Amino acid sequence: MKKLFFLLLIGLVSCSPKIKSNFTNTQPKLSIDQEVALLDIDHHLPENILKIGNLKFQDSGFSTDCSFNSIMNQARKTARENGANIVKVVGKKKPDIWSSCYRLDIELYKFEGDVSSLPQYELTLD
Amino acid sequence: MKNLIKILPLVSFLLLQSCATIVSGSRQTVKFNSIPAAATVFINEVEVGKTPVEKDLKRNQEYQVLIKMDGYKSYKTTLSKKFNEWYIGNIVFGGLIGLVVDPITGAMYKLTPNELTARLENDNSDVVFKDGGKDIHISVSLNIDPTWEKVGQLEKAE
Repeated sequence: MKKLFFLLLIGLVSCSPKIKSNFTNTQPKLSIDQEVALLDIDHHLPENILKIGNLKFQDSGFSTDCSFNSIMNQARKTARENGANIVKVVGKKKPDIWSSCYRLDIELYKFEGDVSSLPQYELTLD
Repeated sequence: MKNLIKILPLVSFLLLQSCATIVSGSRQTVKFNSIPAAATVFINEVEVGKTPVEKDLKRNQEYQVLIKMDGYKSYKTTLSKKFNEWYIGNIVFGGLIGLVVDPITGAMYKLTPNELTARLENDNSDVVFKDGGKDIHISVSLNIDPTWEKVGQLEKAE
């Protein structure tokens, strides 16, 4: 019973989504003042961009902090750390009977132009 | 009536399992102040208002806070999620329901700090002021960007 309790507790404490990442072309870090554009499935990528890497957000089974806004915010943070200023959602599974989480496939890009001029997703607080 | 007396303790017992959810709720009000007041508060880069301001935030996330005001250095901090002691209530009262419900609602966490006061420091760079209405004086101070990495040093030639 004790073991079961501790296993349950450990499992429940790991509430963040599982993140798989692959970076092929890391660039110098961006500061908080440098804007990062969040592009949803319907938003189009501009031309002349450099691909930095991929992110895959999955449900760890115990994830609770996995809303769309929360995942996009985490992706933006990772993008800055790796020098990307575009976060593009390329695959999106909404919460369903199998998972209460958003599951996203994301690509990160570096764009030399002004990202604020791109049509993009406006992040809100949950 | 007899049935009600029998059922009531059972229902109460089951309901009281989610201790932290009942006591604390899934959201927490966090207060933001600054000295001086009327600075703009951004949470996760979303503008939420000018200080003093309160915001109801979900307990199961961490938040990056940025407080900005013209003429002052920006104040950055993180609201982190810490363990909410009320979660232990589930163990005290017994049962597994609360152990599952509280993490799902986020009530097993509390955001810290609960109240934030940012003392904004003067930013003396790029200050423009007039002297006697005639001359304009501009003060510029150059600071090293913390993200830069020093790669070398030039020395003065003899």
